Amino acid sequence: MKRFIEHEELARDRRFIRQQNVAADLLATLPDDVDAVVELFEKVGPVIEAGTRGTAAEPLYDRFGPAFTLMTLNEPIRPGDPGTEDRLKMRMHGIFVGELQALEGAGRSLWDFPEAPWEFKMNMARQCWDEARHVQIFEKLLDHVGGEVGMYAESTFLFEAACADDPALRVAGVNRALEGLACDVFRDNIEYAKQTDDALMEQSMDYVLADELTHVRFGSEWVAEFCKDDPERLAKAREFRRETDRRFNFGGARSADKDAAIQIAWEDRKFAGFTDEELEDLAQLSGEGPSRKTMKKAIEILVARFQEEHGIPSEAQS
Amino acid sequence: MSEGRMYPGTGKDERTTFAPYSAFDIPQDLRELHGRYDVETTARRVRNFRYAEEWMMMMLGGWLATVPEVPVKTGLGKIIWEGAKAADEFGKRLPELRCGKRAAESSEAGNPGFADLIQEIAAPETPDLTIEKMTGVFDVLKPHLVKVYERHMRETDQIADAPTIEILEEIVRKTERHVAWGHEILDRLCDTDAKRQRRHARQAELNELLEKCGGVTGDLALDH
Repeated sequence: MKRFIEHEELARDRRFIRQQNVAADLLATLPDDVDAVVELFEKVGPVIEAGTRGTAAEPLYDRFGPAFTLMTLNEPIRPGDPGTEDRLKMRMHGIFVGELQALEGAGRSLWDFPEAPWEFKMNMARQCWDEARHVQIFEKLLDHVGGEVGMYAESTFLFEAACADDPALRVAGVNRALEGLACDVFRDNIEYAKQTDDALMEQSMDYVLADELTHVRFGSEWVAEFCKDDPERLAKAREFRRETDRRFNFGGARSADKDAAIQIAWEDRKFAGFTDEELEDLAQLSGEGPSRKTMKKAIEILVARFQEEHGIPSEAQS
Repeated sequence: MSEGRMYPGTGKDERTTFAPYSAFDIPQDLRELHGRYDVETTARRVRNFRYAEEWMMMMLGGWLATVPEVPVKTGLGKIIWEGAKAADEFGKRLPELRCGKRAAESSEAGNPGFADLIQEIAAPETPDLTIEKMTGVFDVLKPHLVKVYERHMRETDQIADAPTIEILEEIVRKTERHVAWGHEILDRLCDTDAKRQRRHARQAELNELLEKCGGVTGDLALDH
């Protein structure tokens, strides 16, 4: 078996559809400018459309056009808001495939780095079991919210972004950026579960969050260990994590802003070994993308143009 | 309460009054001293066992990304962790067997042939080869290890090497569960004659290599 694989090589059964990672790449580079956001999304409209065909997202694309991805990401999931049910299913599906890729990333860390210290291998092996349980948990939670595996396309950009060839960068990407993002998303979902009195979701997600904090801590410790006495490697690992975090900000949907769709789970991250300095940096990074106001305006324009072009009555926007 | 001496004195008439009692008089303890393996041999074998467990969990980790069946991915997650714990337990035993404090992370293939066998078992790569991947581990390697571990437990010094026996007992219990799970998966995957033939062919090919190299310790004649 070769060492190091590409994200295209992740094996899936026939339920899954793959999505090109271009939309995720695009979100990472969006400026805080309404016209630029509109122009970029109109340009990649066909790619976004292709990723919805044959999936449960197809009716959403047919109704709102390429802006539907921004609409689902940009707004917090709140009980009773329009489209909450669909957005919850999308989020659960996104977490499910994210856990699958985290499982695969941890497993590849065992195979790709045979010379790594034994304690590193123990941590990665433990993470394999944890992520495997998370996949099982989210398969059940997806069912719990009325969804099913394969109902949306899978973007493999998490694996693509996080799985570097240097173990120090790999743990910086997978354990600190990816698992850190998981902490943010799960904290947000736990709050949603509390608001909806969903004890099943609240408790299972809280267990998953506890595991993720452990994985972030693995990452914090191993970046330090791999990079001790090597400031150049440490700088590379830091830059790699920042770059990965930039992509995981989803154009500002995950940020420190009070009205962000997904808040940075500050306290959870501190518990897992992030320093205040790193968290300030993450907050600044996530603030570099478009503001929520910019996104809202861009969505309005994109949806209006799409609906006009396709003869869809504008009240469908609601 | 005894009125005799509680503690021996220095003179020959100053003995305590307690009746002598030997552990060997206990009728239930039928264990005998002396086994097939001396300390050095057991240390070498434990390093061999550790090598097999370590590489097995590493290859299973690599396959998580290349098997398409979700239940196989999730089932392997736990087996990887239990394999790592097995390797870790073997490693912790090594310093107790005079291998030095730093020996806890040392693995050693029984011989180059066994190292080649491990690489051959790990060779299947693409998503259409789950049968070949699972067969190598669950039809060949793990059943072989169970046999060797059980033989070691039976034939080593039952009292002096009891710590190794304790470790092996736990690993065998879990490995047997892994094998049962792997067989269930393989029986399910091999639902046509052609697929069953693939499984048998792979099993035969690897068993031949296993016999040729002498298995995990390089001494199959003594181990099976």
